[in-house]
Amino acid sequence: MSGGSKVKNKIIKAIKKKENLAKYNIDIKISGDKIVYLKGEVDKWQDVVDIGHIVAKVKGVVNVVNDISAKGIKIVKKDNTEKIKKTIEQGKVMRTDVVIIGAGISGCAIARELSKYDLNIVVLEKNSDVAEEATKANNGNIHPGLLATPGTLKAKLNLEGNKMYTNLSKELNFEFKRPGSMYISYNKKDWRKFKALKRVKKTKVGYLIKPLRQIMRTPGLKWLTPEQVKELEPNIKGNPVGGFLMSTMGLVEPYEVCVALAENAVQNDVTFRFNTEVLDITTQDCVATGVITNESIIKCNYVINCAGIYADDIAEMAGDRFFTIHPRRGAIAIIDKSRKGFLNRPAGGSLETKKKGSHTKGGGASVTPEGNLLWGPTATEVPDKEDKSVEAADMEYITKLGRSITDEVSKSEIITFFSGLRAPDYKEDFIIGMSKKIKGFINVAGIQSPGLASAPAIAKMVGRIIIKDIGDIQIKDSYNPIRPPKVKFRNLSHEEQDELIKQNPKYGNIICRCELITEGEILDAIHSLVPATTIDAVKRRTRAGMGRCQGGFCGPRTLEILSRELGKEPTDITLKGSNSYILDRKSR
Amino acid sequence: MDIVVIGGGPAGLAAAIEAKKHNVKEVMIIERDIELGGILQQCIHDGFGLHRFGKRLSGCEYAENFIEGVESEEDIIVKLKTIVIEITKDKTIYAMNEEEGMMEIHSKAIILAMGCRERTRSQVFIWGTRPSGVLTAGTVQRYINMEGYLPGKKAVILGSGDIGLIMARRMTLEGIKVEGVYEVMDSPGGLTRNISQCLKDYNIPMHLSTTVVKIHGNKKLEGVTIAQVDKDKKPIKGTEKYIECDLLVLAVGLIPENELSRQMEINIDPRTKGPIVDENFMTSIEGVFAAGNVVTVFDLVDYVSETGEIAARGAAKYLKGDLDLSSDYQDIIPGDNVNFIVPQKIRKQNLEDKLPIYFRVKQPLKKVTVVGEIEGQKCLKKKHVVVLPPEMIVEEIDCEKIKDKNEMLKISVKVG
Amino acid sequence: MCKEFTCIVCPVSCTLNVSKEGEEIIVKGNNCKRGKVFGENEYKSPKRILTTTVKVEESCHKALPVISSDEIPKEKMFECVEQLYKMTVKAPIKKGEIIIKNILNTGVDIVASRSLKQI
Repeated sequence: MSGGSKVKNKIIKAIKKKENLAKYNIDIKISGDKIVYLKGEVDKWQDVVDIGHIVAKVKGVVNVVNDISAKGIKIVKKDNTEKIKKTIEQGKVMRTDVVIIGAGISGCAIARELSKYDLNIVVLEKNSDVAEEATKANNGNIHPGLLATPGTLKAKLNLEGNKMYTNLSKELNFEFKRPGSMYISYNKKDWRKFKALKRVKKTKVGYLIKPLRQIMRTPGLKWLTPEQVKELEPNIKGNPVGGFLMSTMGLVEPYEVCVALAENAVQNDVTFRFNTEVLDITTQDCVATGVITNESIIKCNYVINCAGIYADDIAEMAGDRFFTIHPRRGAIAIIDKSRKGFLNRPAGGSLETKKKGSHTKGGGASVTPEGNLLWGPTATEVPDKEDKSVEAADMEYITKLGRSITDEVSKSEIITFFSGLRAPDYKEDFIIGMSKKIKGFINVAGIQSPGLASAPAIAKMVGRIIIKDIGDIQIKDSYNPIRPPKVKFRNLSHEEQDELIKQNPKYGNIICRCELITEGEILDAIHSLVPATTIDAVKRRTRAGMGRCQGGFCGPRTLEILSRELGKEPTDITLKGSNSYILDRKSR
Repeated sequence: MDIVVIGGGPAGLAAAIEAKKHNVKEVMIIERDIELGGILQQCIHDGFGLHRFGKRLSGCEYAENFIEGVESEEDIIVKLKTIVIEITKDKTIYAMNEEEGMMEIHSKAIILAMGCRERTRSQVFIWGTRPSGVLTAGTVQRYINMEGYLPGKKAVILGSGDIGLIMARRMTLEGIKVEGVYEVMDSPGGLTRNISQCLKDYNIPMHLSTTVVKIHGNKKLEGVTIAQVDKDKKPIKGTEKYIECDLLVLAVGLIPENELSRQMEINIDPRTKGPIVDENFMTSIEGVFAAGNVVTVFDLVDYVSETGEIAARGAAKYLKGDLDLSSDYQDIIPGDNVNFIVPQKIRKQNLEDKLPIYFRVKQPLKKVTVVGEIEGQKCLKKKHVVVLPPEMIVEEIDCEKIKDKNEMLKISVKVG
Repeated sequence: MCKEFTCIVCPVSCTLNVSKEGEEIIVKGNNCKRGKVFGENEYKSPKRILTTTVKVEESCHKALPVISSDEIPKEKMFECVEQLYKMTVKAPIKKGEIIIKNILNTGVDIVASRSLKQI
């Protein structure tokens, strides 16, 4: 690796500028294609991340591979050699056209998009179901795209994707609302400055200014008087001085969207393989030839890397490691449904707690399409790719933010909390494109917020990449973009409910009392095109277990139904795949 | 229907039988499970019915006494596997089951007897991950006693209420190692008898002022971190200890199941989390009564049955038009050391000669006097050697003594 | 040997210290006669009611709750449970029906805690 000494000097200077980072000796190497490789040791994890960010911001740096370690934190890299050997020995080989690694929102959206074409497509997922990682653990906001830094790929795809959701929700029959989101100001001085941005051409202040100016000039943005703010959101506290409405903000249940995409993909002949982990990627003469999983070798022409948190590891397997994913945990709390309707749309205020230079929206109060109040998310850099815990500090932050505009609601009304790991690279933007080194290997990495909103646009972009590469390909005659709607018993009128039970008595047996979910719906989930085989998978598809008793009542009943329908012993049923058994053994 | 009872557990069963005793014509019980008995069917341990039957019966034995009573009454309509999903303010009940679909049932009076549910891990803010192996005590009880399955090999129990203690014994007998019982308060939550026979008998240690602060394990529970707490129940740094286990049993409290009550916009008491009830256990909606754990969590099933009977008698009177429904209520309010009282209000005209009141103290106290005061005069004075929060106190007010008083009645527990 | 028990006869829950001197059992810490009797019994031969479940067939339930007709010696509890594990009963069962008569020669029966219909 050579050169870029000018860039290297800039990098050294940038790091030295920070008082707490200047003391470190960081080994910096720059490749010909302007990828910076960092090595060294620092005191804490936040320093690793800060250095990565500083370097990524230096002009001329294309991306950062950050191998700096933090004292006392050992990141164990998986050694797949033995497992790979075993698969090769077993000798099972399959052939397909496209392999998609990861069945999160990106992987499922791409699978559905590509299923239009005459291609054999296989999606490989190491967990037991779709949407088991970040896709299920976010706040379901379909962002307007106006707060993302203009000029970034994520801003572009966000704006595009946001528009596509209306149509997509009709085709796939998932719950989608577009209530818009509200920005509320409580500070007269700030508010005047804000409004002045509308006219300002030049500015040199703050990170938020560029996107804010963009918002100010967006048609369809509605400026609100304090009275209007209160009219639209009568339950927010205090005396707002003004606000504005970003009317394109939408709301979904993210796992519902992911399941819908996956099912439609299966309708159009895509194959999903769960509990299938990619151990290696085979290449020949810089062309991707296939993947090796824990089950078999799959030969293919295209490998699409949608592996989220592990996207950098997958890229490394392909021989093209040019970015590093640093997990950023986001914790969320859901409030009891007795507060349904408390807020009509996501709302955030001019909050003193918002940190300058923070990379993600710190949160506020949001709302699910079902109307439940949602607090969070937080943003904490963590070294461990499996660290999905929620800590006391998370809850403190979430509660502070949530109560900054909804004073009445107390912490005691929280029915559940959980976290997910965002998968950003150090440039904090999406990496979507055919690898420059390995032909046929397509990266869809660094997908963090607004990944959900961008998903349909990401899928279209990847579709174009493949079509361009293949050259001539037809849309299948049999392609059916419509996924039939699912039965949602709780949303029907009593007459409709009666009709439904008469047609199929299984809809007359309520399993989840809190959310009013019937056995019929659970059976639908277990026998769907992407079958639910775990308690959580049933929960994601039906909502059973999402209510205030958190599965206390319905859990054993759902387990019994799964055991019966899958023909498995109750002791073999898991909560979320792998070894997460609910029951240990039979009583003697 | 004349009376529809929602829930066929001990409160509902007692209510239905009592209603029939008072010649109410059309009585129906709606029960969501496959059989009557409610939670008692999974309570195979003894200790039930000492007051009512003079014996320590198992939960199922107690239930069967009442179920026999209901089944012998040809006129009590029982709908099993039927769940009520909505009750409108004008007492129209929407209930459904597989055979009959959605039913619209009109009833002149309703007795809510839905019981209670368990507090979850999120409500007690235990940090960490969300693996399998974290179950509430009632769910563990169901798996072991009714399904015949054991959910783990080595368990930690959080909460020293009776259900936690009972499960400590049950799990031990079934071969699950119980590492210990952890209690965040500085005094145990369950009956002394249970601490003796469920923990001491099996050398299971109980740790007071200690709680579980974190859950570890990605897919499956690997262990928990426990820590001692200070007087504000905040974990004390440096006292953390990691305990390897594959089952965390949460016995962290019961909450009255008031989804339907809230839907009907019945007034709820924030202290009990159940409907505010009067001397007949009638709620803020005329003709809608509530009994058992849905009103407040009782520790003795005998009292649950008693309240079912009070509600049924009240409903029978209501049907006949014998209840005063118009005069002002007098409140019964908790005084010193009293956490809450049920009933919360009374109409003197409806009282008979004795008014039972049910309440709990806030902390354990020795050598106390329960005092009832109204308009500066004592209408109740009863000494107790020891009172404990887990043991509900039941007293009877002599209604003669309050007949001519119009202000509120205050119940206090004074030391000495 | 001195043993400590919590008396469970009444809510006062005295802490009893019971020891044996020669042939005599000495109970200390009790506030009443009943406590003395309790302490003596606990020392000599502690007994408990046993409640557990037995496998059942031809019923909608998989387990039949059972209860001992009287208290059985504490030290025989686990052995009794082992015996019950070996059994499987068949519905219909009537509450009170004897499942095992005179279990382990204790003079106590194990009876059904509830009735179960045959399916």
